[in-house]
Amino acid sequence: MQTGTIFNIQPFSVYDGPGIRTTVFLKGCNLRCLWCHNPESWQIAPQLQFQEEKCVGCGNCFKVCPKGAHQISERGHIIDRTLCVGCGICAQNCYAGALVLTGKRVTTEEVMARLLEDAPYFKNSGGGVTFSGGEAMMQLEFLKELLIRCKEAGIHTAVDTAGHFPFEQYQKILPYTDLFLYDIKAYDPETHRRLTGVDNHHILENLPLLLQNGAEVIVRVPCIPDGNWQDMEQIACYLEPLPVKQVELLAYHRLGEGKRKSLGMEMETFPAPSVKEMEGLLETFTKKGIPAVYNR
Amino acid sequence: MKNIDARTPVSQFYLDKIKSMHDEKVKLNKEKLAAFGGSYDTDDHGFIYFKDFTFKPDYLPGKDRLEGAKNIGENLRRFWNEIPVYIYKDSALAGAWAGKFQDFVEVGMKRETDTPPELQKIHKKYHMWANGLGGMNHMGPDMNIGLREGLPGILNKVRYYRDFNHPSDTDFYDGEEAVVLGMMEYTKRHADYARQLAAEAEDEKTAQHYSLIAQTCENILAGPPATFREACQLIAVFQSADRTYFLGGALGQLDELLRPYYEKDTRAGILTDEEAIWILASLFYNDTHYSQVGGQTPDGSRDLTSRVSFLILEAAHLLHIPYNLAVRVYEGMDEKLMRRALEYILEDGSGVSFSCATGIEEGYTRQGHPRELARMRAKVGCNWVALPGIEYPLQDVTRVNMAWAFEVAMEELKKDPEPTLEKLWDLFVHHLEIMVDCIKDGYDVHYEKVSKIAPEVVLNLFSHGPIERGLNAAAGGVDIINLNMDGIGLATVADSFAAIEQRVVKEKRLTWEELYTALEHDYKGYENIQLMLKNIPRFGSPESLARDWAKKISLLYTDLVNCAPTPKHHLRVVPGLFSHGDIYKHGEELPATPNGRNAGDPISHSAEPDPGFAAGLTSFSPTLKANAVAMVQPGYGNSAPLHLDIDADMLKNHGGIDTLAALIKTHNEMGGTLINLNCITKDQIRRAHADPDSEPDLVVRVTGYSAFFASLSKEYRQQVVDRYLSE
Repeated sequence: MQTGTIFNIQPFSVYDGPGIRTTVFLKGCNLRCLWCHNPESWQIAPQLQFQEEKCVGCGNCFKVCPKGAHQISERGHIIDRTLCVGCGICAQNCYAGALVLTGKRVTTEEVMARLLEDAPYFKNSGGGVTFSGGEAMMQLEFLKELLIRCKEAGIHTAVDTAGHFPFEQYQKILPYTDLFLYDIKAYDPETHRRLTGVDNHHILENLPLLLQNGAEVIVRVPCIPDGNWQDMEQIACYLEPLPVKQVELLAYHRLGEGKRKSLGMEMETFPAPSVKEMEGLLETFTKKGIPAVYNR
Repeated sequence: MKNIDARTPVSQFYLDKIKSMHDEKVKLNKEKLAAFGGSYDTDDHGFIYFKDFTFKPDYLPGKDRLEGAKNIGENLRRFWNEIPVYIYKDSALAGAWAGKFQDFVEVGMKRETDTPPELQKIHKKYHMWANGLGGMNHMGPDMNIGLREGLPGILNKVRYYRDFNHPSDTDFYDGEEAVVLGMMEYTKRHADYARQLAAEAEDEKTAQHYSLIAQTCENILAGPPATFREACQLIAVFQSADRTYFLGGALGQLDELLRPYYEKDTRAGILTDEEAIWILASLFYNDTHYSQVGGQTPDGSRDLTSRVSFLILEAAHLLHIPYNLAVRVYEGMDEKLMRRALEYILEDGSGVSFSCATGIEEGYTRQGHPRELARMRAKVGCNWVALPGIEYPLQDVTRVNMAWAFEVAMEELKKDPEPTLEKLWDLFVHHLEIMVDCIKDGYDVHYEKVSKIAPEVVLNLFSHGPIERGLNAAAGGVDIINLNMDGIGLATVADSFAAIEQRVVKEKRLTWEELYTALEHDYKGYENIQLMLKNIPRFGSPESLARDWAKKISLLYTDLVNCAPTPKHHLRVVPGLFSHGDIYKHGEELPATPNGRNAGDPISHSAEPDPGFAAGLTSFSPTLKANAVAMVQPGYGNSAPLHLDIDADMLKNHGGIDTLAALIKTHNEMGGTLINLNCITKDQIRRAHADPDSEPDLVVRVTGYSAFFASLSKEYRQQVVDRYLSE
């Protein structure tokens, strides 16, 4: 039985595929998107999150940390991330819930037990399970076993991926994946590298291959002014001939900022697009016959 | 033939009338709020406040309260002859009730004199002020009796059975006769008033309007109602009478009651759909009585959904004031009915509740009743269900606050030099058993006394048996007596046990002594301990200790209630888990609890997890809450409701009605009993809470009942806000 690291199971997930879904968030990501709203997912290993506003200043974490990572500076309580090994002892002793160790090792059996509790909702809504992240493909064997077990239980499956893997890896899960939620974050390789830390040749190659192999795909395009906005016309041209089920245009938001702060990470921010700008963008896609949607 | 779910093109003429009733209700509500201290936490009930009206009761010699059917009936008759008449200019129906009878007279069982001292001691120790003794009206009438017989027919029936049974004491029949006569005289006064308004009318159209109201009232005095409008007028008279006497508030299967009249009148070409909607809206304007649409015939061969079911939903939607309708959900139901109800909820923010057949019907069969009877059990109260006119279930009048059993157990454990969790559990079981047994003893006393002191003089007339037998419903008048007992505080106790198990027993981060000290100080100076106890995976979280405790406690409570009938009269007692909205009141005197709750804070709601329960690996979701509530259902056919407050913004673009329908269907499949749903935006609820006047006609479902958000007290508003914003 496979074991993997997850950082959340979100029932009643209505954004990640059809119907009522339960989304399993797997830890680990091979991209470093500047706007990422799940930065706690980047490392596969558990990460310590510190929500300063919940801290009551009890000092327990200072006492129990074996590495002395909790320190007082001019900015108050800080965590020296170079010292923190993610052991979680401080989180266990943080009664206020300000320190949380994000990420838990679980077996596929444990995950399935949770998913099966929600199976009646899947049946009644045409929903299912979505594996997201992070990047779900980072823990491929764990993911594959979960997909197989879901299919055995008659559950619809979706995999949310950024596509940055050799295609052979996708072939391993293709038979067990009913739907791919596939991100296109930029068209220009340099822009892609600047925004995500990696170039996009795998990503642009894999989407047509998935479709050729019979996969059902919903493409998701984050729309970021001063980020990838200038690539939108090219993304639309790229998608135009592809038989994708839908293209979701996602307006950039800043929900990830708080999480970045809690992880001690810097974050680049962008201006949020207006509704009017998004509607204009939508037209760019739909006039090419692309089945694009924008949900406010 | 048109589709039964086609939306009715309502003309401006009727839309204006309905809008006028809406505006008048909002205006009256403001006046009532000003008169009653700024808020009230129950249904609006639609009563008209006649501020100068007074009533002088006639007590029997030597009595300081009304007692017995005749004394009560005669005073009620005079009351209905003295209250001001009321007809709203844009309503199709005449009448209104003027406030509850008990506010004008002394009537009903009294805690001080009618409760045996030995029970009073237990009530005091465990804070059991809602103990069922003297509970009134919590049953459902069969309105078909009224519609079939009409008021004159009911009067004849009372007189016939008085002669036929020839009892040595005719008090019961004399009282029932006085009640019917009072209802008829009340109707006659409104007929006369409508004639007067017609005569004074400045134009022919208005005169015709009032003349028709007068004629309708006169017709129902002459015989059974013959038209849709007459049927609704009779129901409105019943509503006013029923509500006056101990706040009776149930109608039953409204669509099916009115369907024959609708079909006959539309066939005859004397009723249009828009007129039917206006008449129904007038009925909802009159009062917020509980009723149900949809469901099945007793033999399961026919779905009860009809054109009338949809017209009822349309009327309530257009009027847009608090109303209490339920849609019966069952596997194989007419999906169109559920979808229409959900469309209106998404549009209006709240609307019907959903009564779930799986929990209600299967549970009822577990009591030993046939499935056919179970199908007839309609939702007729904020949480309660009853066989209309056949059953005396007395739901919603008892509260066994399990947190008090826990508190007393903790106090005793303190004396033990070697405390353990097992000992605490045993003590909790012991004290909960005392509370449950005390309610059972109280029900025996209730059974012995209530029929002599305060019989159900209105509902007896609309039930099967009381008049035929000469017996009050509570004393063998109806065939089935199964007295409900509601446990409350489930999550408070489950989370407390789980917090102790995790922090004291398993992790050993806290000693029993430290726990006692923190509790004694209400966590003042011990805030870290409070946080430690609060921050555990609480009831509602998957795979949590608290979930296991909640299941164990629910099972224990169910067994304690079910294991034996009342000791003296062997009356069946049925478990339920329902707190109404009184979670603040039940927490007021309760000391701090080990779930991190401060002294005086509210206890948990019904069978629900506390707001914001989800922590750790799983985020909050409505499905988690629904799973938790389904899991702890007592399972004997009485409701333990699920409140879902869902952000409308979230649903707007993602699934909407399909998602809600799937949620409801699944909760039903899982054994749920009742779902109360609000779908408003977080911004709207924030705005309304900060400034209630900014949303004067925002209607929310508080627990089983709906109310104007602005008329709730701050504490009750907070409940709704907490459910929304903590999740």
